[in-house]
Amino acid sequence: MTGSDGVAGSDDRMIELRLPSRLGYEKVAMDMAASLARRMGFGADRIEALRTALAEAVTNAIEHGNAHDAEMKVTVLLTPRPDELIVSVADQGRRPLETSQTELQPQIDQTIARGEAGGWGIWLMKELMDEVEFSSVPNGGNRVRMVIYLEQP
Amino acid sequence: MGAIGYAWLFILNNRNMIMSTREYTIEVSFPSVLGYEKVARDAVASFALRCGFDASRLEDLKTALGEACINAIEHGNQRHADLYVMVCCVYNAQQLTIEVCDHGVKPYSGERPMADITSKVCGQTSCRGMGLLLISQLVDEYGFVQKTNGGNCLRLSFHQLRRDEVLSPCSTSA
Amino acid sequence: MMLEDELSVAIRERSGVAIIDLIGDVTTFAEEKINSAYTQVTEKGAKYILLNFRQNDYINSAGIAILIGIVTEVNRLQQQLAISGLSPHFQKIFRMVGLSQYATIYETEDEAVAQMTAAA
Repeated sequence: MTGSDGVAGSDDRMIELRLPSRLGYEKVAMDMAASLARRMGFGADRIEALRTALAEAVTNAIEHGNAHDAEMKVTVLLTPRPDELIVSVADQGRRPLETSQTELQPQIDQTIARGEAGGWGIWLMKELMDEVEFSSVPNGGNRVRMVIYLEQP
Repeated sequence: MGAIGYAWLFILNNRNMIMSTREYTIEVSFPSVLGYEKVARDAVASFALRCGFDASRLEDLKTALGEACINAIEHGNQRHADLYVMVCCVYNAQQLTIEVCDHGVKPYSGERPMADITSKVCGQTSCRGMGLLLISQLVDEYGFVQKTNGGNCLRLSFHQLRRDEVLSPCSTSA
Repeated sequence: MMLEDELSVAIRERSGVAIIDLIGDVTTFAEEKINSAYTQVTEKGAKYILLNFRQNDYINSAGIAILIGIVTEVNRLQQQLAISGLSPHFQKIFRMVGLSQYATIYETEDEAVAQMTAAA
């Protein structure tokens, strides 16, 4: 159950979404996060950025962390604060994320030369969000914690 | 077929359908604070859309789910922000079943929907009757489910093949 | 945080009809805004009142309860109340709960104003 994330303060209220590890379900997470962000006052372009970053995080959790095992859950936690939205995505981690992967800096000419298109997810998340942090969950699994700041007009 | 042709076929087949014959569940939980039910509604509507429900059925679902969530927030959890409302959705055999569960600080499982608005002008404190009235009219099946933890749990079911009643035209004639 | 209040209410007048625009969500948080708009037009002596809805993704039973409160006052003060601009879904909901017995539901504001002024 939600209530203690370790990262959030005691006054924080969280919305939790649990999804099966099946591609396509990331759209439910994207729509839910967009719904919350819109109501918090985020602009359209920031919401698009959030949707894209969250899609990358959830598909990473489905494909890599949970290795497409639909019985394994992906947990998305949304913590709205007055000046920011914290989004955390956790998997049940069959495959721990290597630090080398999170530090990846892909170059388009190199990926084209190698003939592969992957490897952009983490880079995109870092580009689009204001904070991105990777960690391991104590009882197994990977977690990415992303923060997007609410800039008051 | 070339790679591009194959890709298009894949997209068309999977455009809105994330479900297969297997049964999968999504769960949303949120604190008992009015307003949060809107986000839960949007998450479930997003799931239902991708299960193939049409726009008008989605509206029915959102309204019914909103009422169930508000009952859970206001009555079941007595608006204790640290108590969560849990919404569990299962899509199987062209039926979407949604359970809305609270911690049962106050039980209301035995309540019945009110008959109509003329019988009772709903005051600020009790809108459960009207909420249940809306739910009863909008879903295909509903009922309270007994939970071992003593919480209230309202189960709503939506069938995909239901033929919607035709909405009578607006009474705009003079 | 805008999770609570997502309604804006405005008052206008057209051909003797007091129009209350309700843009956004009509839930428990709408009570003060809707009631104060109704009180304002009533104090100005409005006989014909139109609740003109727009962009309402979310109207719930608490919101409907507020409207029933308005209906009760309208009956007491012998005013005429009409409703316009609702989506087909919420037209259905308003019929379902019986609000249409107390206020005529029109598709558009123009239609409502035309009918109300014809009746005046």
